[in-house]
Amino acid sequence: MADKLFAAIDVGSFEMAMKIYEISSKKGMKEIEHVRHRLALGSDSYNSGKISFSKIDDLCDVLRKFSDIMASYHVTEYKAYGTSALRETENTLIIRDQIRNRTGIDVEVLSNSEQRFLDYKSVASRGAVFNRIIEQGTAIVDIGGGSIQISLFEKDTLVTTQSLRLGVLRLNDQVEHMRIVRDKRREQLDEMIQSQLGTFRKLYMKDREITNLIIVDDYVSRVMQSGVVPTSGDCIASSHDFMEFVSELSERGREELADKLEVPEEMVDYIEVSANIIRNIIESSGAVNIWAPGVTLCDGIAYEYAEKCKLKMIAHDFEKDILASAINISKRYMGSKKRAETISSIALELFDAMQSVHGMGTRERFLLQLASILHDCGKFINMTNVGECSYNIIMNTEMIGLSHDERQIVAYVVKFNHEPFAYYGEISSTSSLGRSEYLVIAKLTAILRIAGGLDKSHKDKMRKIKATLQDDKLVINFTGVQDIGYEKESFNKKAALFGEVFSIEPVIVQKKGE
Amino acid sequence: MEKKNYKNSKYYYNRELSWLRFNARVLSEARDENIPFFERIKFLSITSSNLDEFFMVRIASLKDMVHAGYEKEDIAGLTPGEQLKKLYKEVHEFVELQYDTYENMVRPGFEKSKLKLIEHHEDLNESEAKYIDDYFMREVYPVLTPMAVDSSRPFPLIMNKSLNIGALLSKKDKKEEFATVQVPSVLPRFIRVEDEAKGEIKLILLEEVIERNISKLFLGYDILCSAPYRIMRNADLTIEEEEAEDLLKEIEKQIKKRQWGEAIRLEVQSDIDKKLQSRLKEELGLHSDDIYKISGPIDLTFLMKVYGLDGFDSLKKKNLAPQSVPELPEGCDIFESIRKKDILLHHPYQSFTPVVRFIEQAANDKNVLAIKQTLYRVSGNSPIVKALMKAAENGKQVSVLVELKARFDEENNIVWAKMLEKAGCHVIYGLVGLKTHSKITLVVRKEQDGIRRYVHLGTGNYNDATAKLYTDLGLFTASESVGEDATAVFNMLSGYSEPLGWNKLSVAPLWLKKKLLKLIRRETEWARNNRPAKIVAKMNSLCDPDVIAALYEASSAGVEINLLIRGICCLKVGIEGVSENIHVRSIVGDFLEHSRIFYFENDHSPEVFLASADWMPRNLERRVEIMFPVEDKDLKEKVMHILDVQFKDNTKAHLLQPDGEYIKAVPGKDDAKVCCQEIFGQEEAEKLGKKKGEGSRVFIPKTSID
Repeated sequence: MADKLFAAIDVGSFEMAMKIYEISSKKGMKEIEHVRHRLALGSDSYNSGKISFSKIDDLCDVLRKFSDIMASYHVTEYKAYGTSALRETENTLIIRDQIRNRTGIDVEVLSNSEQRFLDYKSVASRGAVFNRIIEQGTAIVDIGGGSIQISLFEKDTLVTTQSLRLGVLRLNDQVEHMRIVRDKRREQLDEMIQSQLGTFRKLYMKDREITNLIIVDDYVSRVMQSGVVPTSGDCIASSHDFMEFVSELSERGREELADKLEVPEEMVDYIEVSANIIRNIIESSGAVNIWAPGVTLCDGIAYEYAEKCKLKMIAHDFEKDILASAINISKRYMGSKKRAETISSIALELFDAMQSVHGMGTRERFLLQLASILHDCGKFINMTNVGECSYNIIMNTEMIGLSHDERQIVAYVVKFNHEPFAYYGEISSTSSLGRSEYLVIAKLTAILRIAGGLDKSHKDKMRKIKATLQDDKLVINFTGVQDIGYEKESFNKKAALFGEVFSIEPVIVQKKGE
Repeated sequence: MEKKNYKNSKYYYNRELSWLRFNARVLSEARDENIPFFERIKFLSITSSNLDEFFMVRIASLKDMVHAGYEKEDIAGLTPGEQLKKLYKEVHEFVELQYDTYENMVRPGFEKSKLKLIEHHEDLNESEAKYIDDYFMREVYPVLTPMAVDSSRPFPLIMNKSLNIGALLSKKDKKEEFATVQVPSVLPRFIRVEDEAKGEIKLILLEEVIERNISKLFLGYDILCSAPYRIMRNADLTIEEEEAEDLLKEIEKQIKKRQWGEAIRLEVQSDIDKKLQSRLKEELGLHSDDIYKISGPIDLTFLMKVYGLDGFDSLKKKNLAPQSVPELPEGCDIFESIRKKDILLHHPYQSFTPVVRFIEQAANDKNVLAIKQTLYRVSGNSPIVKALMKAAENGKQVSVLVELKARFDEENNIVWAKMLEKAGCHVIYGLVGLKTHSKITLVVRKEQDGIRRYVHLGTGNYNDATAKLYTDLGLFTASESVGEDATAVFNMLSGYSEPLGWNKLSVAPLWLKKKLLKLIRRETEWARNNRPAKIVAKMNSLCDPDVIAALYEASSAGVEINLLIRGICCLKVGIEGVSENIHVRSIVGDFLEHSRIFYFENDHSPEVFLASADWMPRNLERRVEIMFPVEDKDLKEKVMHILDVQFKDNTKAHLLQPDGEYIKAVPGKDDAKVCCQEIFGQEEAEKLGKKKGEGSRVFIPKTSID
């Protein structure tokens, strides 16, 4: 099969970039074009909340040029994503519409966790080195213009992730604003970084051992790629060498650095900010190795595309990461691991039995599993308002790998497991979800409800069930001698939605004996 | 050891004076009796057009500086005023030598040949005079605009570079008046008068024809005296920003004081009437230094047209016609050939046609997606421009960077740039503040196994006409890493950010100079560690102070440095402890030496580069230029061979002496004559299996004059 050509466009907060790839299952992803254009959209959004007309003009000009380049390679498949600058603009929808009308390019806006997931994928696309690194305690530090994301690994699985508002552009604008002398810059930066990093450390890093840092950014990575910091073959530097590089940054003049690093002068400031963020993280985590693979969001976009076209085998099990994060969240809010497992296994059994009726796929099954794990996390906050509190916890806790919509689906399913189900009119007025997502919520809620009902006593009586579909009935067989009166009653209460959604009546059949 | 200050101005020559030395070397070709007569008049003509350009650009620029009160010293420690003072003296001497050459070499040459030049209309015989007078009334008179000056008519604007005839008139008892008429540039400078009986061709200069008939222009006046004159103006608004970035600002400040278009040179014949001369001097506001008394025809560039006359082949040197390229035979698939191996072209010994064919083939190849090219100076009616237009019509994406700032070619460039745009090409009209001097073409092709890029890089312009006269090198490659770099170059030229790194190319103004200095310093380090170190470099001009200082340092560390610098060289050889290991030679031959080749010994693993750039600040800092490596082993050897033969040349080489003079190399008693340009021609012919003088396309080179 001929190679597919694919263009990935990143409308970033300080730069726009496009990469064009040849993608084939044989050769993988081969970058054949990479163009970048400086455009500090972020300074508009972060300062005034709006992107100015002239910047929109510039943005459209650049996109038109990008589309010329795409045309020159006869590229038809592309994906364009905007990141924090577009996300944090008040008039995102209007801007997107303008861009579409003026350039024909549809720029989708990534939520923070979606963006980080793509960055994460871009790192994971480096395969072998990545797998080797995450065998030890590792943190991915993804440094953007508006914020940074720190994700922690435990035994090759990503377990937790947090976003801190310490973006390079944001910090740089703030220190510039103070008009302080260069010598004071570093002190000021440290103060700003440490105030947020300190809290993060207390909450998340305390008990973890972090040996490796993986850096994803558009600043330090570039100079590290060019060998300014001594690195091993895989471009891994020791934190000692990195620290020396950072002190060199503060000792030398801007012009001299631009010359040495072979970058434009204004880049020097960004590099300095980014390097100091990394320095602070090294100091508070004790990491010894720094790996900057030099990947960009575009690589992640292409990786995602390749996955979607089944052109590439997934090198890393991202669902395992998400599952681990969910379990981690449940643990943090004192959820019972055992009960989560029971409900999850019942729910999945029902899901599988109902396959021909609901027509949902493996991803929805996975969402159901997450909802089962998180089914009552809110009770940590308030035992009578579990639904609402769970919803809020889920919506405010990032799980890298889940899209924003997916996260919302999980949150609603958990919410309606405890509260009366809300119909489309109500959901659509408070969220951006569309009809198909709404139907997924309805179906998963229906299943989760009866799964919860079956384990109402929390005694794990029905752990082993077998469900089969017989005409218009879902027959749930379980074998046991226990009294299931309590479960039956709650089951019947919870089954109403199920009947409504699927037009199928669930019945419990208990086989005594054995 | 005390560190020497290699930037000390006493280690440098002034670039203008060095340029005059170059023009003197060209003049020495005109004076060389071993060279056929017509070749010599060609060289003489070249010195004349060279000098015109020198005035318009360099002298004008220095005058600007003086007017602006700009006192910054140049590399050799001279202020603009001091430079001008020295230049006046030397230019006057040079012009004297030019006309000495004319008188003692050209005139006798015409005497001996069947071509006669009538310098004075009085020498015409009766029938010739009649013919000429008829010609005057028929062709010349209608296009003349005689202008008289009196109280109601001010002194007219005399056009830059134009040849004119000035006259003093009188009318009865009135005060004498000044009148002038321009010798029309639309008419040929000389008129042919044939004497069939003697088999001779006679030429008479147009100004003589007009002077002879001048009374017809000013009826009712007595002509007291008349004489041709020519002026050169500082009319060119393009300021050479060479030495001083702050100069422009300075000039802006001074602009009111300054007179654009002031006259900077007046050429008059030496026998001009004194009154007429002082009238001109006064009206044009000139100093005595600006007046050049000419003993012969003014403006010798007409000799190039004389050279072009048919029927005098016996007085010209015959060079081999450009040979076809064995790796790229006619009708071959150029892409396939390039895929096999990198290909090096040596112009003008090898034909430029493959480069044109490369673009033509790309234009018509259905798998080609895009063609990108930089164009600096293009010939009129260029086949390359045509091919690019064709490509756009065939739906290829064609991007062309047209450098409008190419000196003296601006108008020409605008015309065909518009043609390209009409045909659907994407045209970029240069970059703000930078001249794009690099010569690069990129063809993107979709092939079975994916996108592949083909690149042509050159040291000379994409100009099929000059490719027959300039020595240049070009490289075809399908190397992936060069292809990536080429894409990055064009992206940069389209306004995108610089790439994160380069694989093979070094690009000015951001990276090239640093790379050069690094390469030179690497040799210095090798020498200090007693490892083999050597630099051989060929270029048009060398005047970048940083590079020269680095070369001095290398020389003092013991690096052997051999330079082939055709034109300006601000470096001094033979300074004790500074440049004893540096040798400079200049080759001025039939073809203009134009290729830039840099060789670095690098401790037995030599690296060879070609480039579009000279080692001048303007190339390294204010232009987009590309230096590229030659990595293929065979091609590297070919390039090294070129350098080698040039250093063996003992007929066209001039060697720079410690006192700043150049002396011509002469073969030793037992040495064979070596003329590198002839050897290269023969070698290319031999490659095609042709022996000397065989084959219809091959001319026979003569090594000496009969």
